[in-house]
This record gives sequence, C-alpha cells and structure tokens, in this order.
Amino acid sequence: MPTLRSICLLFLTIGVASAAPTDGGIAFFETEIRPLLSEHCLDCHSTAKKTRGGLNLDSREGWAAGGDSGPAIVPGQPDASPLIRAVRYHDLTLQMPEEGKLPEPKIAALENWVRMGAPDPRTAVTAGKKQTGLGLSEGRKFWSYAPIRPATPRAVQDPAWPRTDLDRLLLASAEKAGFRPARDAPPEILVRRLYLNLIGLPPSPAQIDRFVKASRLDPKAAVASLVDELLASRHFGEHWARLWLDMARFAESSGGGRTLLFKDAWRYRDYVIESVNNDVTWDQFIREQIAGDLLPAASPDEKRRHIVATAFLALGPTNYEEQDKQQLRFDVIDEQLETIGRALLGQTLGCARCHDHKFDPIPQRDYYALAGILASTRTLFNYTDNVARWVDTPLPLDGPREAELKAHEAKVDELRKRLQKAKTDLAKFAQPVAAKDLPGIVIDDTEAKAVGEWRRSNSLPGFIGGGYLHDDNQGKGAKTITFTPVFPKMGRYEVRLAYNHHPSRANRVRVTILHADGEETVFVDQTLVPAVDGRFVSLGTYRFEKDGAGFILVSNAETEAIVTVDALQLLPEESLETPLKNNDAAMLVRRLESELKQLQSTGPVRQVAMSVLEAETPSETQIRIRGVEKNRGATVPRGFLQVASKAPVQISPAESGRRELADWIVSPENPLTARVLVNRVWAWLFGSGIVRTVDNFGTTGEKPSDPELLDHLAVRFIEEGWSLKHFVRQIVLSRAWQTSAEGTAPAESFVRAQRRRLDAEQLRDAMLLTGGRLELSYLGPNIKRADEIDANNTSAQNVEYGYVYSDARRSVYTPAFRNNRLELFAVFDFADINASIGKRHASTVAPQALFLLNHPFVQDQARAATEISQDLPTSERLDSAFLRALGRTPSPKERSACERFLGTQPTAEDWAQVHQMLFACIDFRYVD
Amino acid sequence: MFSPCTRRDSLRTVACGFGALALSGLAAQAQARQSPLASKTPHHPARAKRIIFLFMSGGVSHVDSFDYKPRLIREDGKMRQFGDLRSLAKTGKSPEMRVMKPLWDFQQHGQSGLWASGLFPEMAKHADDLCVIRSMHTEGIAHGPATLFLHTGTTTFIRPSMGAWINYGLGSENENLPGFISLGPALGNGGPRNYGNAFLPAVYQGTPIGRAGIPAKDSTIRNLRPLRSEPQARRQFQLLRELNDAQIQAKPGETEFEAVAESYELAWRMQSAAPELLDLRGESPATLSLYGIGETPTDNFGRQCLLARRLCEAGVRFIQVNYADNSNNPAWDQHSNLPKHGDHAKAVDKPVAGLLEDLKQRGLLEDTIVWWGGEFGRTPYAEKNGTGRDHNPAGFSIWLAGGGFKRGTTFGETDDYGHHATVDKVHMHDLHATLLHALGLDHERLTYRHAGRNFRLTDVYGKVVTDLFA
Repeated sequence: MPTLRSICLLFLTIGVASAAPTDGGIAFFETEIRPLLSEHCLDCHSTAKKTRGGLNLDSREGWAAGGDSGPAIVPGQPDASPLIRAVRYHDLTLQMPEEGKLPEPKIAALENWVRMGAPDPRTAVTAGKKQTGLGLSEGRKFWSYAPIRPATPRAVQDPAWPRTDLDRLLLASAEKAGFRPARDAPPEILVRRLYLNLIGLPPSPAQIDRFVKASRLDPKAAVASLVDELLASRHFGEHWARLWLDMARFAESSGGGRTLLFKDAWRYRDYVIESVNNDVTWDQFIREQIAGDLLPAASPDEKRRHIVATAFLALGPTNYEEQDKQQLRFDVIDEQLETIGRALLGQTLGCARCHDHKFDPIPQRDYYALAGILASTRTLFNYTDNVARWVDTPLPLDGPREAELKAHEAKVDELRKRLQKAKTDLAKFAQPVAAKDLPGIVIDDTEAKAVGEWRRSNSLPGFIGGGYLHDDNQGKGAKTITFTPVFPKMGRYEVRLAYNHHPSRANRVRVTILHADGEETVFVDQTLVPAVDGRFVSLGTYRFEKDGAGFILVSNAETEAIVTVDALQLLPEESLETPLKNNDAAMLVRRLESELKQLQSTGPVRQVAMSVLEAETPSETQIRIRGVEKNRGATVPRGFLQVASKAPVQISPAESGRRELADWIVSPENPLTARVLVNRVWAWLFGSGIVRTVDNFGTTGEKPSDPELLDHLAVRFIEEGWSLKHFVRQIVLSRAWQTSAEGTAPAESFVRAQRRRLDAEQLRDAMLLTGGRLELSYLGPNIKRADEIDANNTSAQNVEYGYVYSDARRSVYTPAFRNNRLELFAVFDFADINASIGKRHASTVAPQALFLLNHPFVQDQARAATEISQDLPTSERLDSAFLRALGRTPSPKERSACERFLGTQPTAEDWAQVHQMLFACIDFRYVD
Repeated sequence: MFSPCTRRDSLRTVACGFGALALSGLAAQAQARQSPLASKTPHHPARAKRIIFLFMSGGVSHVDSFDYKPRLIREDGKMRQFGDLRSLAKTGKSPEMRVMKPLWDFQQHGQSGLWASGLFPEMAKHADDLCVIRSMHTEGIAHGPATLFLHTGTTTFIRPSMGAWINYGLGSENENLPGFISLGPALGNGGPRNYGNAFLPAVYQGTPIGRAGIPAKDSTIRNLRPLRSEPQARRQFQLLRELNDAQIQAKPGETEFEAVAESYELAWRMQSAAPELLDLRGESPATLSLYGIGETPTDNFGRQCLLARRLCEAGVRFIQVNYADNSNNPAWDQHSNLPKHGDHAKAVDKPVAGLLEDLKQRGLLEDTIVWWGGEFGRTPYAEKNGTGRDHNPAGFSIWLAGGGFKRGTTFGETDDYGHHATVDKVHMHDLHATLLHALGLDHERLTYRHAGRNFRLTDVYGKVVTDLFA
C-alpha cells in the first residue's frame, strides 16, 4: 500500500505529467515497471544489494536523488533522463543493463513511464549504515596523528646496564615485563653485524682481527671508532641508499604494459647514494625529491642534483601505453600519491581516491587537494603521444662548459632546421607508387621469397606497392628476402634496393648479389634516406645472363635494429644516362643527415634527467566521483592532509604547490613523517619496527609496541637535524643493539638481537667479495652506452629483454629492470619493484636452494675463492676459507666434515666445492 | 635491508616454491599440512579442479573465427561510423571506417551446429565440446593494459594475477609442485606481472617454465640440473648436510635454520623427480602426433600443450600456455596483413584440438577447464582502411571447454557487425568471477588483506554467469 507521503509526492508528480492516466499510473508501474526494475536493475541498484554508481532504483527517492551523475529520471522527460539514455544503448559511455540491451518493448515501457511522470509508490528503505572512517577531530587523537611528545624518563632496577638514554627506556620496559637483556655479543659476532648493517659487506679476516684486538683493549672505544669508520665509508651510502630506493620503487624500466627503458634513472640512484654519504639532512633530501626543480640552487652542480632528485615522482610503473591520456594522467598522480603516502607518511592514500577513507581520517577532498598539486605538475611530456613519455630535463653545466655546450646546441639546431626543410622538399616524392610506374625491372616485396617471419607494414610513407616488409627486430640471422629477377637479355644492370628508412632501422644490412661474374656483398644503412628518389639505394652495377641464376638476398643477420625491404629495381646500364630529377633533394637530405650525425657524435652531449616540470597553469582540481576521471565533482583547493596539519595552508597561485607540500611533509606540525622515518631506520637495524607495519600508520596498521620510545626517537631525530648518520650512530652505539642473539628475552623487547638473513644484495655482494671479484667502482651508469639509447624507440626494450647481467659491481648498481630481474634478486625476495616496499617478503623456498646448489654464478665465485690462499696446508686453508665466508674458523665438526670431503690430495675442484657449500650453508646466509 | 622473518613464518613457508617433492614419512606430512600450498577446502562444491588457459596474445579476430556476421560480407568495403574506441579514447571523435568481411568462410559444425570459420578447422571438429562466449568485453585498448587486465583485473594497479589468486585460494593438488605454472610467458605487455603475486605471499606466484622466444623443447625449471656429475653432486650435498647439521646444533632452537635445511632436502629431491615430469620422451608416438609434435608449424605449441596435460595430471591448479612473443605487437596482432592469422592458426589449431582430445580420452576434461582466448578481439573494420584489423575490447569471443561448462553452446551476442557485445554481455571481471566459481571459490570472499583493506581479483565488480554451467 502506498503511504501518505508517497501519495502526496504522487499528486505533485501528476501536476507535471499532463498525460497521466486517471489512476496516476500506479497500475502501469505495478504491472510493467516494478517487475522490470526488479529483474534487470535492482541487483546492482538497491539498498538491499549493491549501490553501483551511487544509484538506487528501489525507491522514488533513490532515482530522484540519483547517483554520481545526478538524478536518474527527469519525470515527464524521457530524453533528458539518464536512465532512458542508458537503456537505449546509443551512448557508448552509458549503457545499461550491463548484460545487454533490453528488448524494445521494455525500453518503450520505461519511456512511457517516464513520460507519464514516473509514478512510483515506493518509498526509501532505510539504508544500512555506510562504513566511514574516523572524523578529523577524533582522528587527531589517534596515536599517529597526535602531536609527538618527548618521553618521560624511566627508572631502572639495574642502573649499570644502560649505556644511553635509549638503553634506559628499553631496559625499563624489559624489566617491567620481567625480561633480562641478553648478554653482550662477543666482538667476533659484533664485527660481522656492524659491517653488514652499516656497509652491507662482510668484514675481511684482517678487519675482524683488527677489531677483535682493539676490543680487548677497550671494547667501547673499538666499537665507536669502527662505527665512525664505517659511517665515513662510501660503502655506507651504497648500502643505505638501497633502503630508500625500495621506498622510491626505484627501477630502470617502466614495466607496466609496454615497458620502456629509464635510461637516466641511474642518476637518481647515484643522487640517493651521494645524499646518504654526504649526510644530506632528510628534511632537505625529501624537499629535493618533491620540489627540487623549484628550490634555489647556489651552483649548477646543486641545480643538477635538484633536478635529478625529482625523478622520485617519475619512476613509477607507468602504463605509458594507456590510450586515454587524461585517465593516464590521473593514474600517474594516484601512483605518486600512493608512493608519497606509503614511503613518507605511512598512509594508504589511494583508499581516498574513490571515496572518503573507510577507516582513516582522510576525506576524499584531502586526496584531491593533494592531487591538485600533482595535477599542476607535469610528469608526462604531453597528453597526445600514442605511447606517452616522461619528462627529460636538460642538466646545466658549469660556466665555460655550459657556454660551449650552448654554442654546440645552436649549431645542431640550425642544422636540424635545414634538414627538416630538405625533408619537406623531398616529401613530395614520398607518395606510395606502384611498381609498374617505375622504370626498369621492378620486383615488389610481395614477389620476393621470404624466409622467416617478416611483417608487412604501411605505417611509414614512401613505399612501393602496398607496403613494405620488416623483420620486427626479431629472429636475427634467421630471416632473409630473396629476389630472383628474370633478365630479358644479357647485360649490365644497376641493382637498386628500396627500403623504408627511419632512425629506428638497422644501419648495416647485409645484401648479397649473385651475378654472372660471382658474388658481391654490400651493406646498406637503413637509417638514411635512400639516395635515389628517396626510395632506392644503388647496390652497384653487375652483369647478368639472360635467364641466368642471379639473385639478390637481403639478410637480417648481425643487425641490431629493424630491417626493412620494400622492392628491388634493375636498370639496364644503357638506360642510366638521364639522371632522375629529384636526386638533388634526396642527396641534400643525405648530406645534411650525415653532417648532423657527425656533429652530434663529435660535440659535447647534453645530459638529461628524468624529472617533473611545473604545469603551464597551476590550478585546483575537481573531486573525481568514485575515482572515475570523467566524473567530476566539486573543485577542491590544493592542500594537504587536514588531520596532520594545524592551519589551512596558502599555496602560491603561481606554482604547483610542491614546494609547500614538501615543507608540510617535513614540518614539525606533521607528526607522521619523523615517526615513519625513525621507525624504518629502527626496523632496518633491529629487524622489526616499533610499529611492525612499517608502511601503515593508519588505524588498520599495528600500534607501536612502545609509543613513548617511538616519540623519543622522533624528537631526537628532529632535534638533531634529521641526520641519518647521527641517528644510526645513536642506535648502534646503544648496548641494546649490541646484545647477543642468544637468550630468552623476546625479540620485540629489543634487548636481545635478532638473527637475520642476508638480503639478496648482501648475499650477491658477499659471494663476489669472498671470491675476490667484487668490483668496487663508485657511482655511474651500469647499462652500457646508456646515454646513446633512445629510450622512446621501441627497440630500446631489447636492451632490457636481452640484458646479460655480467658485471661484478655492487648490487645497488645492478640494472633494476622491472620485467627482467636479475635471477638472484628474483629468487631471494627482491623481485617486485613496482610499488614502494618498506618490508620485503621473506621466504625460504626450494628455488633458493637450487640456486645456491646449481647456478653457475655461485660456482664461479666459489672457484674464484679457491685462488686466494691456495698455498696453505689444508687445515690453515680451511681456516682462511671459513674466515672469509663466515667470519670465523670452523668448529671441530665442520672441520672434520670438510677434511673428510677433501681427503689427503684435494684437487682445486674439491676446494671449489667446499667454498660453494660455504656459500650455501646456513651461517653464510644469516647474521647474528 | 634485513628481512625479518619469524620462526612461525619460516615454518609456514618452508614447503613453498616447488614444494616438497617426494616428501615421505609422518614428519614430512606434518610439515606439508602447514604449507601455504597445501590443498584447501573451497568455499562451495567445485565443478572443476584446475584450469588450462591457452593465451592467444595479441588478440584473435572473433569475426574471422567464432562470431559469424553475414552483414560484414554484405557490406564489405562500405564506409560506416563505428565509434572506434581508440580514436574516442584519444580524441573523443571517431572517423568512418571501411567494413571488412571475414577472410575465412563460416560453417556450422557438429550436432550443436556451432558456427566456426575455416581458420580453426581442427578446433571446429570439437564444436560439441565448446562453450563459446561471443559477448566478451574488457578494458584496455592497447595490449599492455588489456593483457594486464586479463591477468590481474586492472589495467593500472599492481595486483596479483588470477593464477596467484587461485593458488592462494586452493593451494596445490599436489604439494610437491607449484600450483601455478606459466609456459613460455613473454617479457612484454606486463611481463612478470601477468604471473606475479603482487602483495600476496611470494609462494603463490606463477613459476615460469621457459620464456617466449625460447623453443619449448629447451625450456625447463631454472637451476634444476646439477652442474657436476651425479656422484660429485651427491658428495657435495652430503658435505652441505653436515655443515648445516653442525650449525643447527650450535644454535639450538632456531627453527628457521631447520627450515633452510629442509629447503635443501626438497631441492635435492626435486632434482631427480622434476626432470621426468618435464620430459616428453615417454609419450607414445600416437600422443605426440595428436599434438602435432614433430611437425613444423605445430611442434612448439604442441609441446607446450602436451606439457600442460602432464602438469594437469600432476595436480597443478592453473597452467597457462602462452602463444606469445616479446614484441609490442604480439603474435595475433594483425593491424595489417590479416591473412597472417592463418599462420598463427596453423601453429595452434592442431595442438589445441589434440589437447582437448587427449584430456577427453583420459577423463580429465570432466574436471579441467580449458580456456582459449586473447586479451581482446579485433574490429570488424579495416584499420586505416588497410589490410588488417585494430584492437576491439568492446566485443569479442573466447571459449571454455570441460570443467562443468555447457557443451556445444554459444552464449551472448555482439551487434550485427560484431563490434560491441550487446546480448548477455560478459565482462572480463564476470569471466574471472565465473571461473573462480567453477573452482569452488566465491570471488567476493576470496580476499587478501593488504595496506589496511581487503583486496580481491574482481575489485568491486564481477558477476558469476551461472547460465554457462551445464
């Protein structure tokens, strides 16, 4: 039965619906519309089931209020009603029901119903309570959003134990919980722990010896002096950079759909290593990465660093191939926010892209306030390319070198312009032409014999016939095209090959001509415009017999780029007197091209860096309703997370707001950043965080095991100027950090060390170091000729796909390709570099065992290790091998096992096997 | 960075990766019971136990294979307004396009009268086994996004692949083997993300065997072969055992150490057991020829299909067979030169039909779902008015066979041109939901908590298409 209220509404509706039948259309609704809605619509649009697009069709209020895009029905006006538009299925972007178009009579019934004013007796059912997150004021009381407070001093029962205020806090908690701290770790254990934690490499026997001896004299002084030495070592940056690079999801290719090579990403990696080594304070380090391009720089060198730092925003696994570029733009922004949120704030910001955060005090408008800042920033070069590109920023040089470079660039520019004009002139000849319209004997590619898979294309102009063939830059050496002309008479013919030129083509294509006097091989550079008509290049003049066995064979062997074949032309020598008219234009292009090549290869090169830019006009952005890019809601002023800010912010209308964003991230009023960072460093050194969910400081994360301790560290970190080295020193000099892993106190008490496994990088570096093969070159690219790669050329992917990992540099320099990982990394839990990772997976799997047992890399390092102390007698040689690999001499059991294995006359190969098993054994893979 | 790992973690993860091949004895069984790959009870009774996915990378033309549209023949060469999705995404506009008729003749096949073209004559002989869905639609207009969507349910975000979800949901039928294997996956178009675990524990990731571009006969599980002769390898392994024993005894109670030692034992047993599984030499000549092994166009894909059957018998849950390459315009991507489809068809047609026949003969088709298809279809009009077709995510066909799906059935329709799915539309999310359902998994309940919330393969979408079930 209709309620009183719905009847009132009904009368109102009748007022506007002139064509309404006398019963108000209720009968029509009941017989035609109610069953239809129930069958086709309510599964997805009702309070009882789902509310897709925010729309409920189970009551008048539901469709009147409508969904994300406004009211679904305009009573009396079918053409103006989105619901009718959807069921008509004419609009590609709005088609309902999703399963398929309704039969016409049902569509007509709905139209009729709307036309009569959409009579609907149903009233709204009370909707279930929607899950919403904490409000802002409640949120500010939650531990992570509340202001950081200094810890109150704690009393301890054993005042002799603590060495630092940190020890005092930890001991007090431990005593309260009834635990005794573990005993101090012996120097033999501590030395390996210090080396591996601070520089990522195990100590050499000499380094162990030195430390152990110094410890006997003065243990505290020995540790302090070793810590200082290690913090000052450039290896400290190489090891600790890795930790930030995980946060920054550092990679050297995009992965994503079509993976592109980030050829300049190494500059960012180097920037991070240097920043750590120079102890750039972390507030500055963060500012540079978010807004480096906007910061004042005192020198070109500083400017370079600032530009390179912004690669942080550009290194995501971007799907450059996405065809809807506005969608792509917002996907990039989302990825940037997610990364900033996770890495720096410990927040799951992505949850607020589509709606208010369901758990945390982050309204959707905060997300779009932040998004506005990044929407006012350019991360994509443009929004029109088929495959989008990132922004490369030229890097400035110091005074005189910059002037020299500028002069050179002007020359190149000038030459480019002339070349462009010459090409335009030549383009007149670039229309497709039929083979029959050309003089002489012309054989199109369709009549040639193809071996291997050749692809047909017509995407670049200037071809003969219907297109040209290309080898797809694959199957090198396995593909050929053979032309077998029939010669009408004996004589000398000029042989000309037509190919499709482009900078992406191979520059040394082998062509073999079998003629009456023998065989000739010539090479064709397909990056150049062909000299004749812009179509053909001459392969020389040769004698052929009438109906003889001559042929011309094009091969893709030994090429590194795309090989194309379009046609072959043979001109009797006697017909060659009249030169073709447009030769000049083609020759000019060729000449200018080679001049340009020459100039570019000899002059100084402008280095570029992956980076971001300011958008031309910074502006606010709109809320995207349900995260759908095209579904725009209210405009939101740019800003930050309200729950972690005190006052509303002022963002310069002339800038994107990244500078202000960076300032806010590191400002003392933002309680998140310092807490998140100190917890990360703590976790890296202790094996687990005070907040164990290191990336999630929201309400769904774990709470700190000791909130006061966390705040104490954060306060110290800020007070002492955000210095990483200072902070690390403070922790490793604590007595708690130097405890033994043996004992009864639980790991979470942090008064007993945790035994931990080496990560993938430490494992690889340690094997290389033990074998004496680790190459210690500092900084610089690792992908050969990275500067020369045109990253936007599709063949650049082959650099990744075909990459042979053969260098022996430290693992931090190993190319970080997203689609082709170094196998050791993939196997030892360092595979996924697509998202910011605060804590890697830790698995113990059979493939790891297989790798250490059977991979040639491991065997090679083991063989190399045998070369080091081979003159020693077996027993001493064993000592040396154990010391180098495990930092200790063998136990009696280990010694007898090895001696049994080696026998009396061990061969070099026996020793290699011993070394390999030392790499495989448990103690090598762990640090105490 | 040190990756902290508690003892409990390590016990849980010990039997991961390739698992406990040839595990025996009570202790081993107790261990296996805790394995994350141990077989799990599904949400509801399952119709099928496993899936073989035959991935046709690049996008097979549905209007040239399983979606018969006479109108394309009648209007061949005419210019029509189609609403080209690529142009719309890029420019918001769409030019007129030239209708292109199917290049292969269509006929009805089997008792069901299923329409199929001459492109796949061998598959057509199995018409009465197929459940062809002609109303598929998906997301992503380019290969990368669409391929990622097919595998992970999103074009953009970093999410686990479907096989990883299934592995997580069901575990392996045989704890001695990984639950998810991808044969010859490509490096491009999403690459490892297509068989990746994303935020799921690493044990659930797909194990690749071989790689696109490497002949199937040279593909194997990595590092399976010892570098040294058998007696040498054995002696060396014995030394490792003794070292590990000594080190475990020196630090009693460290269960993580025991887990490491156990992982070596598993690896050691795998070395002898796994190669046999991958070795096709024990198959009869009749079986080999059924798959076209030994014949030029079919040898490679035939080997992969036969290996898929062997893995299927061994209890792997999700086996993907990739007909793919590493390029940006993979295999079936005939933007020009559509006749090239014929070459690819020759390479896959007989092996796929052979697989269906073989599974049937062995009674495996009953509880194995075979899923054949690409990331999208192709347009009914010529691209750039040339000789090929562009991508079409708005409407395309795939087929399922076995595993409790209807046989000799077509489901859904596209419009008269085969451009947009119109009747009984099945979104890729719906297909995911349906396949999970067939395996006994509820796509809304198969969730994993990450970054503070629950994630699932179908995000907030997906509908089980129950009409497809027999």
